Amino acid sequence: MRSEDVARLLPTGVRNAILAVLLLIVLGPLAYMAIASVSSDLAVARGALWPDGFHIDNYARIWSTTNLGRGLVNSLLVAGAVAVVSAFVALLSAYVLVRYAFRGRIAVLRSLLALQSIPGTLLLLPVFVLFAGAATALGVTIIGTRWAVLVTYLTFALPFSTWVMVTYLRELPPELDEAARVDGASPWRVLTRVIAPLSWPGLVVSGVFAFLLGWNDVLFASVLTNPDTRTAAVELQIFGASQEGGALPVYGQLMAAALVCAVPVVALYLVFQRYLVAGLTTGGVR
Amino acid sequence: MRKHTSATRQGRPLWMFLPGGLLTLVVIVVPLALALYISLLDLDQYSIREWVGAEFIGFENYVEAVRDSHLPHAITISLGYSALVTLGCLPLGLAAAVATQDRFKGRGLVRSALLIPYVLPAFVVGSTWRIILQPDGIANRLLGTEGLWLNGPRSFWALVIVQLWAGWPLVYLLAAAGLQSMDTTVHEAAALDGAGHWAKLRHVVLPQLRGPVSLGLVISFLHNVNSFTLPFVLFGVPSPYDVEVLPVLTYVESFQNFEFGLSVAMAVVSLILVAIPMAVYLRAVRLDTERGQK
Repeated sequence: MRSEDVARLLPTGVRNAILAVLLLIVLGPLAYMAIASVSSDLAVARGALWPDGFHIDNYARIWSTTNLGRGLVNSLLVAGAVAVVSAFVALLSAYVLVRYAFRGRIAVLRSLLALQSIPGTLLLLPVFVLFAGAATALGVTIIGTRWAVLVTYLTFALPFSTWVMVTYLRELPPELDEAARVDGASPWRVLTRVIAPLSWPGLVVSGVFAFLLGWNDVLFASVLTNPDTRTAAVELQIFGASQEGGALPVYGQLMAAALVCAVPVVALYLVFQRYLVAGLTTGGVR
Repeated sequence: MRKHTSATRQGRPLWMFLPGGLLTLVVIVVPLALALYISLLDLDQYSIREWVGAEFIGFENYVEAVRDSHLPHAITISLGYSALVTLGCLPLGLAAAVATQDRFKGRGLVRSALLIPYVLPAFVVGSTWRIILQPDGIANRLLGTEGLWLNGPRSFWALVIVQLWAGWPLVYLLAAAGLQSMDTTVHEAAALDGAGHWAKLRHVVLPQLRGPVSLGLVISFLHNVNSFTLPFVLFGVPSPYDVEVLPVLTYVESFQNFEFGLSVAMAVVSLILVAIPMAVYLRAVRLDTERGQK
């Protein structure tokens, strides 16, 4: 008996049956999404399974029906900045957490996990009040700008990003930076010259998760942005909600818009899949 | 094992905590404290401009939330649906993990596909299912059913189904990771004992997955209790009574009814709800190399 056979968990038939059911559950709605996005509004409204023709123009019309274009630009700007900055800030904190001993270290590690499960709805109003107060005190505009959501997402991304970096840096042999330290390199030099170049997979994971946090949020963006700075998430939510009542909803376009919003995320996932899966299993609440 | 005990006290660059610490202080810690304070104020749309001067009313908001608001109802809905979704994740996640463990052609592709619902943004999932579940939509047509899914008693099940669809891959992921790190000698031992597929699964494989799978279930539960975007996008606001979950109720109370003090008091209560699963979670995760194990 080959070791391959010994390790088998399921008879092939059972395995294929399970996979068929699971794939149907997962891919069914996804396939319908794609079909509906090229269907006429009427076909979707009637619940037709096959499109009555190939209405690819849904994808052309969404740009004038909605402000999705501007929303996507806003989302890319905000989420992109959040990704880059949070990965770097997380690296700084994680480096100290992993390589140095100090009082309260365990408490900080624990809070990295605890902070992730604070409900956003609890912080929404206080953050709003705080930003409004700061704006008045400083004589600047905060709410309605991209800065407001950027700073918010950046902060919310940090606990998980830092946790990912902590788990990553732990695996780097300490001899690496010890050698550099013995040579008289400052912690900053050790971090930027030795640690950072070695930890880019960790940086990518924490950056991608931070990007997703910014891209996916509706709660804070719905309150902290104005029509010019709205993210794609809020734009799509408003588009969907506005289809209630009145004339025939533009379902086809709505599905096309939803797909457009999903594409960057799914693409990121497929490109970095290997690293992301490792990152997710290190225990994130997200 | 003292592999990474080289953590040193010399020349600690504690300033590197500054950016992260400052942001956390300003955008999380201070707002948290502010939330606790606001929950004790009589704060509505009239007093919000001068919120510092709003009347201090002690625990009246909490009393009102428990006695005269939808809060108890929302807690029931939130806990009930989160528990159902979390339970549902278990068979799906385990089945997927076990079925993708043996090598076969196209396994990588299947694994990627199974995770897609989990990576889709919640607002996309919500928008899509909103159309699937509309009264004349494809769901009713395929099921041969009629009537509403996004309102009325069935909406609760709609929420369970959609959240389950989007959330189960996390349990699969953690179970699969557990399977991969499993000691392969157990297979040989099971084969020597003449254990069949089913006996091996039940008595050898599944017990070893208890750790990672329970972690997945706790995370899933926390995620569902706190989930705002999916119910918000799927049902709109004000949400139907049967799916009036806590995060959406809190949001509506603040940004539609402008009962800020009451709303924040509700949100504080939701913090207590996540505290128990959170404590379980914290005990389960390996915090440091020197203590505990995963």
